[in-house]
Amino acid sequence: MFQFAPYVLKSLWRHRARTMLTVSGAAVAMFVFCIVSSVQEGLERLTTNDDAQRTLIVFQENRFCPTSSRLPEDYSRKIREIPGVKDAMPVQVWTNNCRASLDIVVFNGAPPRQLREARDLTLVSGNWEEFESQRDAAIVGSNVAQRRGLKAGEQFSIGELSVKVAGIFTSPIPAEDNLIYTSLEFLQYTKGVDSAGLVTQHEVHLTTDADPDATASAIDELLKAGPVATTTRRKGAFQTSTLSDLVDLIQFAHWLGYACVGLVLSLVATTTIMSVQDRIKEYAVLETLGVRPLRVFRLVVSEGILLCFAGGVLGTAMALAALGWGGMAIGAEGVTIAFRPSLRLAILGATVSLIVGFLAGLAPATQAARTPILNSLRDE
Amino acid sequence: MALVELRGVTKQFSKGDEVITPLDDIDLDIEQGEFVSLMGPSGTGKSTLLNLISGIDRPNHGTVLVDKVDITGLSRGKLADWRAANLGYIFQTHNLIPVLTAYENVELPTLLLPLTSAERRKRVELALDVVGLTDRADHYPRQLSGGQEQRVGIARAIVGHPQVVVADEPTGSLDTKTSEQIQTLLQDLNKQLDITLVMVTHDHQVAQIATRQLLLDEGKIVEATTGGTIEKVRNG
Repeated sequence: MFQFAPYVLKSLWRHRARTMLTVSGAAVAMFVFCIVSSVQEGLERLTTNDDAQRTLIVFQENRFCPTSSRLPEDYSRKIREIPGVKDAMPVQVWTNNCRASLDIVVFNGAPPRQLREARDLTLVSGNWEEFESQRDAAIVGSNVAQRRGLKAGEQFSIGELSVKVAGIFTSPIPAEDNLIYTSLEFLQYTKGVDSAGLVTQHEVHLTTDADPDATASAIDELLKAGPVATTTRRKGAFQTSTLSDLVDLIQFAHWLGYACVGLVLSLVATTTIMSVQDRIKEYAVLETLGVRPLRVFRLVVSEGILLCFAGGVLGTAMALAALGWGGMAIGAEGVTIAFRPSLRLAILGATVSLIVGFLAGLAPATQAARTPILNSLRDE
Repeated sequence: MALVELRGVTKQFSKGDEVITPLDDIDLDIEQGEFVSLMGPSGTGKSTLLNLISGIDRPNHGTVLVDKVDITGLSRGKLADWRAANLGYIFQTHNLIPVLTAYENVELPTLLLPLTSAERRKRVELALDVVGLTDRADHYPRQLSGGQEQRVGIARAIVGHPQVVVADEPTGSLDTKTSEQIQTLLQDLNKQLDITLVMVTHDHQVAQIATRQLLLDEGKIVEATTGGTIEKVRNG
C-alpha cells in the first residue's frame, strides 16, 4: 500500500488549491467541533467527578443566585453533628455576573485552614502563609490569572472588591481554576456584601461510608426548624441545576458539533468525488496495468483520509491551542465550566477525522473501483 | 500450442434495440514471439479483439486462453493480477500518470510484482535504456514530447517482462517521423527481445512492420498476410 503513497500524495499536491481549501474547510469545522466538545467535556468533568458526587452543597431553599442565598454561618456547626458528615465548610460566594458570561469572576470566601484541607490545590506561585495571615489576601485560579493577566504580589480589584494576589493555584478539577479564594471574613465584610454571620452556602464533606442523598435529607430535616430553610444536593446535581439554562444550550451545541462533522464529511466527499471524476481514466489505466480494483478503492479512500486527517489535526491543534492559551470558561450564578485542552479531546479530534475521512472516501472509491475499465478509458 | 488462443469468440453490444456484433465467432492463434497487426476500418472490432486479449473486456461467447490460462473465467481482481504478471499495454494516447516522473511511470507495474527494490530499479533502468530515455527519467510527462511519452509508455509495457504486449494504435497520435521511430522500436522489441506483440492500427503502412497482418471486417478475420503471402480466411 505504501508503495503507492507517492502517487496519492502527488495527486493531492497536483490540485494544491483544491486540497488546501478542503483541508482548511475541514480544519475550521473540526476546530468548532473540538471547542464544542471541550464545553461538553468541561460540563461532564464538573458534574461527574468524585468531588461532585461525594460533596454536598447546602443552599437556601428556593434560591438560585448566590447573592440571594443567605444562610447562618453557624449552620456548619450543626451540620457537623449529623452522622456521615466529616466536615462542613461555610462558603461566601461573590460573582461579578449572575447571568451567563464568558468572563465570569467568582470569589469564594472560606476559612483558609479548612479550605487547604478540603481542596487539592497546588500553588504555582506565591505562598499559603501570606494567604492565611493577611485578611485581604487571595489565591487566584490559574485560568483567571491567565485571562486577567494576574501575578502573585499584584493587587486585583473588581467592583467593590480589592484583593492582594497571594498566590496562583492549579487544581485537578478544572472549574476550580476559574475561582478566586479569599478568607471568609474578608468576603463577608466587603462593602456591598454585608453578610456578617451569614454565608451563601455550606459545603459538606462526607465520610467514606455515608450515603450522600440520605445525609442531604437529614441536613434539610435538621435545618428546617432553623431561621432559614435549606435545599441540600450533591455538588454535581447542584451545579447542573444552577447551570440548567447553560446545560440546555450546551446540549444544543452538541448537535452543532455533529453538524460540523457532517460538514467535513460532505466537504471531503465532494472534493474526493470531484478528484475521482477528473481522474477516472487514470484509475482505468492503473487497472489496465494490473492494479486490483480493491487497491484502487484503497487509494481513493486514503486520499479522503489524508485530506480529512490533515484538516482534522490542524483544526484540533488550533482548538487545543486556543483552549490552552485562552483560559476560557463559561459560567452562571457563581458556577463555572472550564474549557480545557485535553488528551481525550486530541484523540477524539484525530479519531473523528480519520473515521470521517474513511466515510467520505467510500462513495468516490466505490465509483473508481467499480466503473468498467473500458468506460473509463473512453472518458475524456 | 499457441501462446494466445481465441476459440469461438463473439462480442456483442446492445445499443437501444439494436445488437452490434463487433466480433463474430472468431478463432485465432498467436504464437510466442509473433508480431501481429490487426487492421480494418473503424468499428470492425480491432480494439475489441485487443481488449479481449488484454482481459479488460469479456466476450459473450467463446474462450480466450493466454499461455493456457482461460482469462474469460477470471474475476476482475484476478484479471488485474494476471495483467500485472503477463500483459503489457501500450495506449494510443500514452496515458502516463501526469503526477509521476518517467521513471515512476515505468516503475508502476513493477510495484505489483514480487520484486526487491534493487530488482525494480534494475528493470526500470533497463526499460528506459531500451527506449532510449535514460536521460529523461526525472522528467514529468508534460516535459516530454509526444514521441518521448510514447516511449515511456512502451517502457512501462515491457518493464514487467510480460508474455504479451498489446498496442492500441501506438502511432495514431504521432507525427510521421516520430511514428517511424516508434515503429522501429516496436520491431526491435519483437526481434531482439522476442516479445510477442499484438498491435491495432488503421494505417496499412504501420501494419507492415508486423510479421503477420490480420484484416478484420464485419466481425470476422477476412484476410491474413504472413511474410507477404495473403491468405483469405474463412471464419465462423
